[in-house]
Amino acid sequence: MSASAADTLEWLVRPFSGDPGIDRQALAGLLVELARNVEPQFGAGPSGVRPIDPRLEQLRTLLLGREIEVLSRLSEVVEDPEQLAGAVGRVLPTAIALASSDARLGQVLAPALEKATQSSIRSDPGTLVNILYPLIVPAIRKSIGETIDETFQSFNESLKHSLTWRGLRWRWEAWRTGTSFAEVVLKHTLVYQVEHVFLIHRHTGLLISHVAAENAAGQDPQLVSSMLIAIQDFVRDSFSGAEHQGLDTVRLGELWLWSEPGPFATLVAVIRGNPPEGLHEQLRSVLSRIHEERPHALESFDGDSSSFADVEAHLSECAALGQRAPRSAERGFPWLVALVGLILLALAGLGGFRWWQNERAWEHEQQLRQAEQRLWDGYVARLRAQPGIVITEAGRRDDKFLVAGLRDPLAADPQLLLDQEGVDPARVVSRWQPYQGLDPVFMLKRLQASLDPPPTVTLAVEGDHIVAQGSAPSTWIERARTAGRMLPAGGPMLDLTGVRDVNEGAIGKLSKAIRSHEIHFNFNDSLPAPGQDAVLDQLAKELNDLASLASTMSVSARVTLTGHSDDAGNGTFNLSLSSARAETVRALLKKRGADPDLLTVRGAGPLEPLEAASSEAARSANRRVSFKVGIEEQR
Amino acid sequence: MTATLQKKICMLGGFSVGKTSLVKRYVQSVFSETYLTTVGVKIDKKTVDLSDRIVNLILWDLAGEDDISSLRMSYLRGSAGYVLVADGTRPSTLEVALSLRQRVEADLGPLPFVLLLNKNDLREQWAIRDAELEDFRRNGWWVESTSARTGEGVEDAFKALAGRVAH
Repeated sequence: MSASAADTLEWLVRPFSGDPGIDRQALAGLLVELARNVEPQFGAGPSGVRPIDPRLEQLRTLLLGREIEVLSRLSEVVEDPEQLAGAVGRVLPTAIALASSDARLGQVLAPALEKATQSSIRSDPGTLVNILYPLIVPAIRKSIGETIDETFQSFNESLKHSLTWRGLRWRWEAWRTGTSFAEVVLKHTLVYQVEHVFLIHRHTGLLISHVAAENAAGQDPQLVSSMLIAIQDFVRDSFSGAEHQGLDTVRLGELWLWSEPGPFATLVAVIRGNPPEGLHEQLRSVLSRIHEERPHALESFDGDSSSFADVEAHLSECAALGQRAPRSAERGFPWLVALVGLILLALAGLGGFRWWQNERAWEHEQQLRQAEQRLWDGYVARLRAQPGIVITEAGRRDDKFLVAGLRDPLAADPQLLLDQEGVDPARVVSRWQPYQGLDPVFMLKRLQASLDPPPTVTLAVEGDHIVAQGSAPSTWIERARTAGRMLPAGGPMLDLTGVRDVNEGAIGKLSKAIRSHEIHFNFNDSLPAPGQDAVLDQLAKELNDLASLASTMSVSARVTLTGHSDDAGNGTFNLSLSSARAETVRALLKKRGADPDLLTVRGAGPLEPLEAASSEAARSANRRVSFKVGIEEQR
Repeated sequence: MTATLQKKICMLGGFSVGKTSLVKRYVQSVFSETYLTTVGVKIDKKTVDLSDRIVNLILWDLAGEDDISSLRMSYLRGSAGYVLVADGTRPSTLEVALSLRQRVEADLGPLPFVLLLNKNDLREQWAIRDAELEDFRRNGWWVESTSARTGEGVEDAFKALAGRVAH
């Protein structure tokens, strides 16, 4: 039994690899004690075990020792925050993974996460930017893509109604190739070429990689990239830009610098021409790909670019970007070009014709103007040559001709001259002040007006004299002489030496002959004494000659018949007798054909005796009719 | 062997110590000196042939200022090392250089640098004691007296600095 008992207990004593923490020896002893208590004769050994206290405690320890130890270890962990944190940390990912199906987890975690994010942004925004960059870029890309689509659509709309020939052609191309019309338009209008692409380390400004298109000129890219970063810094510092902002576009004539910043590297493209907005997106896409592939190498770049050889492939992709000017179709006749050419030619021709017309019109106008000017010059010259006209001002003013000066009223009429010279009077403004000139011609005119010379007298200008020629009655000559003396000094003199007194010529002889006749009367008789018919006939003939001569000489002749009586008898009777005798002679002469208007009669009585003596012979001589002739200017 | 290593180096020094003319003859330069007065920095390149590799020093010549506070610190960012230039005939410029160094260290931490005392061709006007330079050297500084006129010491200085920043 003991052997069997020992055998039975043998497994307890044997070390057991799976449960090393239990003191098996002690447990065995305890079990033996227990057995003795049940069966006192079982085995030998120390006295029985007391039912309570140390041994039970020991048993407890033996039975639960491991649990107690685990519990104390656990309580130690739970009570020490650091250890607890470690323990929780170890299971947290799994726990969250398991709990993620529970909606409450998200609700519980959200506020804490928000706070954590906020504080992270506050302490270093760069970290979050770096974290989010791969997320943000595709999001932005998507948004930009949408914007561009929108732009295309609006572009489409705006062009929809532009039914130009080119527009129609592009529309055809879009339909044929199945692309959007706006894309075709952009393809044809935006011609550009990416010439250089720089990948520049943002922190140091050092060049990571550079690719240039064929034939693109440029300075040392390492220097250029550093300078680009320096200028970015300069602009940012100068205008207080935020850390992540910088120059994104620089334009130099037809050269564009587009800078696309990434977290660690900046992509700078040098573009010639007119790049489309969509190119930004392409550049950003390349930059974000480079960042995705080599984030750590970019971050820790120390100037050794040998490890970035593969980046060049990406950059080359950018440098290959470009849109060349589309070539015109090589096949067929270039109708459009020809049409445009023709239209241009026609326009040029029309323009030329218009120009020629204008030129002609202008020339014509110039000619007219010149002709008008010539006419005017002629008119002014003629005015200047006119005596009695003094020009003080002549010229063009505001499309009108102006002439001003002094004009003798006797001078030629300027208005009349205008007509003669062919100048349009409506275009002329004249201002004349009257004055009297000393020009001989005007003096002559004035003298002719004031002296009214008889037709037998001619006045003419000879040198600086006005010469009168012909014959005139002495009264006119006298008047002319007075007028000549009144002429203003310095002017022409009136020369009257060429004027004969009419009384001195044929008319003078005739007057003398008429005056020499006397008709005699008998005492107290009013009829002429007999035997005087021949004298009367002679007288009548001479009177007729006088009348005709006076008429030709434009003078008026007057013959006065004066009757006389002797001094015997009554004076009154004698006076009427003498008048009667003159009347009788006039009647007799009239009877013989003399013009009675030529003759005037008067009675002188005895007051004008031929002989003052009182003898019969003297009285007989005094009984007579005598004749007087007066020659005067015609009235 | 290809010259793939580039290092950004700042040139620092007080007013008219001659740092621009110091490098003029020894660097590859494409930008005009007016950049210094306009943008405040002019960038040149100095290629140094170390025995095992070629280092391109990208030299950021910062506009000379005696007033340290006006230095554009953003230009210093990312520098691998720097060149301090002082005028050996004017001790005050050495003080400016030392305070510039302090300023840089405060911002960027310790970086390799060389201290150049320029104008050593004006020996009779030299105002820096040799003992002072020895003190610097004992601190592990690389100090060289140079002349922009004769070129003495310039190549050595760049070579020393290239060696320090490339390893």
